[in-house]
Amino acid sequence: MIMTIAEPTETISTGGKKHAPIELIRDLESTSGYWAAVWTMCAMPDVHVVCDAPIGCFNLVATAVPDYTDAIPHIHNITPSVMREQEVTMLGTAGAVRKAVDALRELHPDQEIIVVSTAESEMISSDHGDWLSKMTPPVPFFWSKSLEGDEWEGRDRVLVWLWKNFGFQIDDLRLKSDPQIVNHQSKIVNVIGPTYGCFNSPSDLHEVKRLIEGAGGVVNLVYPIEARLKDTPRLGESAVNIVMYREFGEALAKELGKPYLFAPMGIRETTEFIHKLGELLGTSEQAEAFIAKEKKTTLAPLWDLWRGPQGDWFSTTEFAVVAGRSYTDGLVRMLADELGMKVQFASARPRTPSEMNNIQIREALHKKQPGFMFGSLNEKIYLTEAQAKATHFMPSSFPGATVRRALGTPFMGYSGVVYVVQEMVNRFYDMVFNFLPFDNVAAAGQLKDVANPLAQANKLVWSEEARAQMESHLEGIPWLSRISATRELRTQVEVYAVRNGLKDVTPEVVEKALLAS
Amino acid sequence: MTLTVPEGNLITPDIIETRSNPKSEIGNRKLPEGHSVSPDHNLTPQTMCPAFGSLRVLTRIDGVQTAMVTDTGCLYGLTFVTHFYASRKSIAAPAFGTKELVAGNVAEAAIASCVEASKMPGTKLIAAISLCVAETAGLTEEMIPAQVNGIDTILVRVPAYAIHSHAEAKDVGINALLKKFAPVGAHGGAPLTADGVEKPLTFDGTNADEDDLKKKVVMLGEVFPADPLTVDAVLKRMGSGLAANLPSRNLEDYKLARKAGAIAAVHPFYGGSVATLRAAGVPIISGAPVGPEATYGWIKGVGNALKLDPALVEQVAAEERDKCKAILSQFSLKGAKVHVCGYEGNELLYARLLVEAGAVVPYISTSIMKSLYTAADEAWLKARGTKEIIYQKALEQDIRALDAYKPDLVLGTTPLSAEAKARGSPGMYYTNMLSVRPLFLGAGLAGTIQLISEALNRAPRYEWMREFFEGERHTEAANVVNTMD
Repeated sequence: MIMTIAEPTETISTGGKKHAPIELIRDLESTSGYWAAVWTMCAMPDVHVVCDAPIGCFNLVATAVPDYTDAIPHIHNITPSVMREQEVTMLGTAGAVRKAVDALRELHPDQEIIVVSTAESEMISSDHGDWLSKMTPPVPFFWSKSLEGDEWEGRDRVLVWLWKNFGFQIDDLRLKSDPQIVNHQSKIVNVIGPTYGCFNSPSDLHEVKRLIEGAGGVVNLVYPIEARLKDTPRLGESAVNIVMYREFGEALAKELGKPYLFAPMGIRETTEFIHKLGELLGTSEQAEAFIAKEKKTTLAPLWDLWRGPQGDWFSTTEFAVVAGRSYTDGLVRMLADELGMKVQFASARPRTPSEMNNIQIREALHKKQPGFMFGSLNEKIYLTEAQAKATHFMPSSFPGATVRRALGTPFMGYSGVVYVVQEMVNRFYDMVFNFLPFDNVAAAGQLKDVANPLAQANKLVWSEEARAQMESHLEGIPWLSRISATRELRTQVEVYAVRNGLKDVTPEVVEKALLAS
Repeated sequence: MTLTVPEGNLITPDIIETRSNPKSEIGNRKLPEGHSVSPDHNLTPQTMCPAFGSLRVLTRIDGVQTAMVTDTGCLYGLTFVTHFYASRKSIAAPAFGTKELVAGNVAEAAIASCVEASKMPGTKLIAAISLCVAETAGLTEEMIPAQVNGIDTILVRVPAYAIHSHAEAKDVGINALLKKFAPVGAHGGAPLTADGVEKPLTFDGTNADEDDLKKKVVMLGEVFPADPLTVDAVLKRMGSGLAANLPSRNLEDYKLARKAGAIAAVHPFYGGSVATLRAAGVPIISGAPVGPEATYGWIKGVGNALKLDPALVEQVAAEERDKCKAILSQFSLKGAKVHVCGYEGNELLYARLLVEAGAVVPYISTSIMKSLYTAADEAWLKARGTKEIIYQKALEQDIRALDAYKPDLVLGTTPLSAEAKARGSPGMYYTNMLSVRPLFLGAGLAGTIQLISEALNRAPRYEWMREFFEGERHTEAANVVNTMD
């Protein structure tokens, strides 16, 4: 069968009945509910997940990916049912799950075993909820909905599920006896969200805790990354909850019924956050004093950079962002609204219908590259495909192999503003360094023997059209890099002209020279 | 000893030790209370997602674009590791979930992603990768057109539930290409002999290039980039040479395989590809030139397969063996006890190299299954001090082996080498260490001895680091539950 298929893809027909257009994905922006469940639950050491999965789903989520993002050699508290051909085609997976559950109960009597479905187990309708609930004691089963929805819905859902299944028994005795609760009841703050697979969360969490304490709050529970499953009821103890991410966690905050704030990015939002938190905790005076002190300390470098020469190029530099909702909106607020940089495009995850998908982002980056690209591995690939030399890629999102476990690389809060701007300025210095002429020590010996064509270049006559033609080749290149790019292109053209014995540079010479190089 | 494919009668049920049939001593050993692994169960098989093997091979080929038919979670993990390990190539896929399944749009989804893949300029071939969910939904070869937008397609079926290691999935990917490039006979398939097997491509004496190819070897197995160069140099001294090394970045190399004088399957898990090539009449050489004895045997094997001048072959084989011996007379791993527990499928080969270098390797485990092609190395190793070889291994078996044999160095999977380090002894991730050094001939031997010796000399650091983080040593190994705490 040989078939030629015309664009657009919506017109594809294989002769069957009409169907809805197939949505295409390029590379990846988020994963499934199964990954969301594993990365949420397994952060808590008193949980042991049995994933109803073929070996691949287990290896990717438990070892291959977190090894290169969260820098964990492998997630220890997860075991696969190891679905094989016989389970898929004949037996079903109940036997395999049962075997794993029995073994783990014996091995880890102090851990809560939770069985989680995967896309493949859902594909063969392996719903173990009923029989697991009849075991003594019952084993909780989480249907991860991995064939629909995305990572963000999954993360939201599993947090609410954990609260509903493990959080309902609020410990009254503890409420009355724990000195932290008794002494600080109205100032207790919980943080919801940070766990595995959350880009840069150790640094951001460190900053958010600093802000909470600065505003007068007492950090109680960071759920799930600093919690045990049996701490889940403590989610109910707080006066205010901080939701780390716009992309997930709000559902749990709503369920808890306490006031909640999102972790802030940018100068204004951070100030507003401290101010509001002070109000909610009744510590306004402390919060305002903290803001005033921060301006003279943590944030002072920004004021200095703003007044210095570095501040001038913000308004002439374009950037683009593809990252989680918090980072995308936050970076646009910080860099565009506050510092005056130009946004080439911004696309947040989870994506609203009006935001660019990866296919569109790829096309956009192939056409024109921003000075700074805040993104995931996908954007890094698209820039490589476009052979973009003048764009600084700033890792800002998963997917991508990036370790961010150090505490000094925040994007959130006041520290985040200073860190992001500092990194951009340093990249700018690198760019300047690379512009400057240098003596090529390695090639120096050889150069002596070669007639340097550029020595004769000052005799060449450039026509206006040729100059315009060269300009047109520079349009896609960010402003900051045009100085060096112009020099490079001009050199290419002039070397070509001299080598070919030409005296006049015309548009044709420009084209031929660029083709020849 | 012979290095051609061993006879089938070497394999008897009582020496098959797999996860499902644990005959091994290790499998049944009871452990002290409170140990971090199950004493009675082998719960955690070790392999990268099997499908990754195919993706790794296919995405690295120039001009091949991949279209992955699967769910989002799978896609996320596989594109992640593929971008990290194999290729910076953008990967197309259809959205594939309940909505598409209910609508019965499996084929449409696959074809739509092939169309997207075909848009990349310079595309020579589109590989549609069918994964667990698509396989279960019933995606079949007939559903994918032979060409999309004028570009050849292949369907590569790699459901993780049916293929048990990523090494073996490399074979699936390569075999799909070899089959795609089979010469087309009168009936649309490859030309067959009267016996129903594929007719060998015969040299008719008019084509100098093909004549030349018939004297050369195609090496089958992913190796360090310098290895094919050193192997080629040795083969050239016998009037032969290396025509290509598969998996290759060059699609044309896959077309050469049928025309080569012989295939050197240096890794033991290419059963499917080997069967396809053998059916096409190409002689197969197994084993690899690692260490003095295997180097000598392998060169002789190539000479026999290609019918090269026996005196010249003997001379070259002896020279290469002597070079290895000269290295061993200066450097050796004598006294070192090493476990080789990767999941790449070439662990027996590596263990053999270590044993030839003087080390003791009591325990070896791998993700691949036992086969004809592992038998010769297994027999060789067991005759030289190896107590156990576990195929399709589980993490628990590897960890129990640490207790049983107390090795000086562990070359393991990520979790296993992490466990070794948590116990304060040297451990390295087999995959990464292996892929950054040559293995073959004298150069491979020297490099490997250096790597292993250095690791052994670092032992005090591993103990210092363990003690710093974990404190005074207890009688039992610590159970590292969660390193993010």
